Amino acid sequence: MTATKTPAASSARTVLATGQLMGWRTIDLLTIAFLGVAFGVAYWGYGLIYNGPISALGLAFQPLFGLFVGFWFIAGVVGGLVVRRPGAALACELIAAIVSALFGNQWGVTTVVSGLAQGIGAELAFAIFAYKAFGPAVAVLAGALSAPLEWIYEAYAYFADWTWAWKLAYLPLMVISGIVIAGVGGWLLTRALARAGALNPFPPGQEVLERRAV
Amino acid sequence: MTVDGRAPGTRPGAVGLVLQEPGSGTVAATVARDVAFGLENIGLPADTMPAHVEAALTAVGLDHLDGDTPTGALSGGQTQRLALAGALALRPTLLLLDEPTAMLDEASAATVRDAVVHGAAGLTTVVVEHRIEPWLEHADRIIVLGRDGRISHDGTPVQVLADHGDELAADGIWVPGVAAPEPLAIDLGALARPAGPGAGLLTCEPVRVERRRNHLDGSSDVSTALITEAPLEVAAGRATALVGPSGGGKSTWLATIAGLIPPSSGRVVTSDGRAVAELPATEVAPLLGWVPQWSSSALLSRTVLDEVLLTGRTLGTADEGVARHLLDVLGLAHLERADPQTLSGGEQRRLAVAAALAHGPGAVLADEPTVGQDRGTWAAVTGLLLSHRARGGAVVTATHDPDLVELVDEVRYVRTPPPQPERATPPAVLSACGPLSLVAAATIPMVAAVLSPGWRVSLVVLALLAVGAVVGLANRPGTGGWTLPGRWRGLAIRLLPGAVGGLSVGWSTWLLGSHDVETALSAALRLLVIVVPSAITLAFIDPDDLADHLGQRLRLPARPVVALGAALQRVQSFGAAWSEVGWARRLRGQGVSWRQPRSVVAHLWASTFGMLLRSLGSAATLAVAMDARGFASGGRRTWAEAAPWRLADTLVVLASLSTVLVVVIARL
Repeated sequence: MTATKTPAASSARTVLATGQLMGWRTIDLLTIAFLGVAFGVAYWGYGLIYNGPISALGLAFQPLFGLFVGFWFIAGVVGGLVVRRPGAALACELIAAIVSALFGNQWGVTTVVSGLAQGIGAELAFAIFAYKAFGPAVAVLAGALSAPLEWIYEAYAYFADWTWAWKLAYLPLMVISGIVIAGVGGWLLTRALARAGALNPFPPGQEVLERRAV
Repeated sequence: MTVDGRAPGTRPGAVGLVLQEPGSGTVAATVARDVAFGLENIGLPADTMPAHVEAALTAVGLDHLDGDTPTGALSGGQTQRLALAGALALRPTLLLLDEPTAMLDEASAATVRDAVVHGAAGLTTVVVEHRIEPWLEHADRIIVLGRDGRISHDGTPVQVLADHGDELAADGIWVPGVAAPEPLAIDLGALARPAGPGAGLLTCEPVRVERRRNHLDGSSDVSTALITEAPLEVAAGRATALVGPSGGGKSTWLATIAGLIPPSSGRVVTSDGRAVAELPATEVAPLLGWVPQWSSSALLSRTVLDEVLLTGRTLGTADEGVARHLLDVLGLAHLERADPQTLSGGEQRRLAVAAALAHGPGAVLADEPTVGQDRGTWAAVTGLLLSHRARGGAVVTATHDPDLVELVDEVRYVRTPPPQPERATPPAVLSACGPLSLVAAATIPMVAAVLSPGWRVSLVVLALLAVGAVVGLANRPGTGGWTLPGRWRGLAIRLLPGAVGGLSVGWSTWLLGSHDVETALSAALRLLVIVVPSAITLAFIDPDDLADHLGQRLRLPARPVVALGAALQRVQSFGAAWSEVGWARRLRGQGVSWRQPRSVVAHLWASTFGMLLRSLGSAATLAVAMDARGFASGGRRTWAEAAPWRLADTLVVLASLSTVLVVVIARL
């Protein structure tokens, strides 16, 4: 299950998905599905905190919510970083959204719209680099890009009554949260999983093995 | 390498595979559907499947089971036979069995061997085993792999064992007829709290433990997981083995003794009468060491050495000399700096035993500590347990290893609790609907929310939704009773987040909209109209049906949809992985207190990480099992069960459309 596409020039090279880029292996499909369900369970749990303590924080200046939305973007970032195939980020985020809705969260079936909006954003970041770069910068970009579509959706669907000043303040707060929690956090989480040997069948795991072999 | 003269994988299912861990290759929610999985992948017409399924179940001796039996309700031995049936259904030419009985008690193992011997008669069968004795009479050839991975011996069993038996036994192989090795005497250091020989540490009164399985819709099944009739005294210098059939409650008993599972009757108390479950983590750790069945979820550190030292460091008693000595004895010294998660299963188990004993707890609770060990490491693991007994510690172990049972002072037999009479809960009206119509019914009222002219109309829509809930959550006509309280409790819990969301939106609108109550009320009620339908309907989606409907009715690509279905099957196991990490942390002295936010964050991180590790591991194993049943080439697969659109589906969609109708009429 080695993934050699470029000659091993340096120990820090990027390993890409094996075979055809669109040639999803069974383990790719199952891993995205399992990660999606696991993050869906985590999203559901986060939703409980989101409702209570975090809502309380936002009572005075509601756009402050934006600082906490990044957690909702993490499945897409991690899914994309692990499997490195087109659609991985979107599918992982979407499945997590569906599962958290099935468990019964505060947004019900509309969670699926959020999952799509965030997943498409993250997917875009990986697509911009043609699925050839998966470093921290790309992870951060994926976290940041998860925000704008979701912002449009929320500004229209949830916060239609907000003033434009509030709406405009909300976007950069969401982006910052996406960068820190989903981007940096997702990258660190993927690295930790790879170091624990859990991603050996995937490019991030291969990178760890190659670095150790040097 | 060729199979039938062709490259392996040319014909899907030509190579059948049964894995070590029961259930790791289970794909479907029911027995018949699971056997049919391979048949679906090769595109067999659905109407011809039942005969194949029946034949495969008969071959492995499971023909007495109803095809609708949930796969989760089977015992370990039955689950392994089900995996065998799934492989046989594809008529393999070669059958590969990877330690198929390693996790089973002797009686269950015998049923699996019988199923292989009779069900796979005439097939080329390769069994990978540590314990070869029971297979020998059926084997024609034995191949021994050396430590370097090369073939060291190859011949008939009689010839290889007669000529090289002693040499193989010396190399750690379990040669039939050679007695188990002598457990090593190991210097473990002192106990944290020495107790006189025979002093009681813990008493487990006769207990009864119920297992509750919650469903999304708020209902739950309760089954009895364990009944013990006599008290169990955990006493200094004494070793006890819990034996009994796989799935009979041995592991549940250990977790109950550790205070991790609350019994519904009976108590577990320390010698001074305190309940173990109520002790703070820093007091449990010096009392109990813990080696769970899933040893990987008990490993919490980033290096092997840190793992052994973790509890001692928390308690302030860490001794690096003892830790290094333990690693040395267990053959793990060269891995000192490795990440524990990268170790093999057998290595992880040894490490978990060392980590449970290094800080000198009064008692160690070890679940199947000797699985997957060769003679050398077996002597080390049993040596650790017996040396712990020798230093005045107590040992309680759940095991099906007869050689380990020989060594203990007391053996307790755990009987599988008798199955309770099925308490058939009447189904709800909404559970007659398929997943697609339920999603539609949750979505359509959003149109009403958007079009609603104000709070008065929204209130009417909400009233309609309440009527819908009363009808939808009622028992299906003719099933007795009118509804179940649990369903309404579930609905209330699901509505709560939406209600908070409605309040929050109402509040922010009031702040912004120059404190106009009507505008605020309209905004709040609009949100409720959006989220309440989901709270009513989504919980009645049967995850097992989702893949069938997405694949057949929406014609989404089959492989991703089936992968999603398989993942949803295991939602419960994700929750279990999450709590097992919490258990391990507690018994390693890592307490959680809301007064210390750092401990909460550490706990959430460790539990999430453990859940992700387990889910990635399950995904990788399941991928192997599914590909062995032709899933890789399953693009043109068929579906064993239809995904019908029923009258109930039409009705629920029409009912949800009524909300839109009301709003449209109001606007005219």
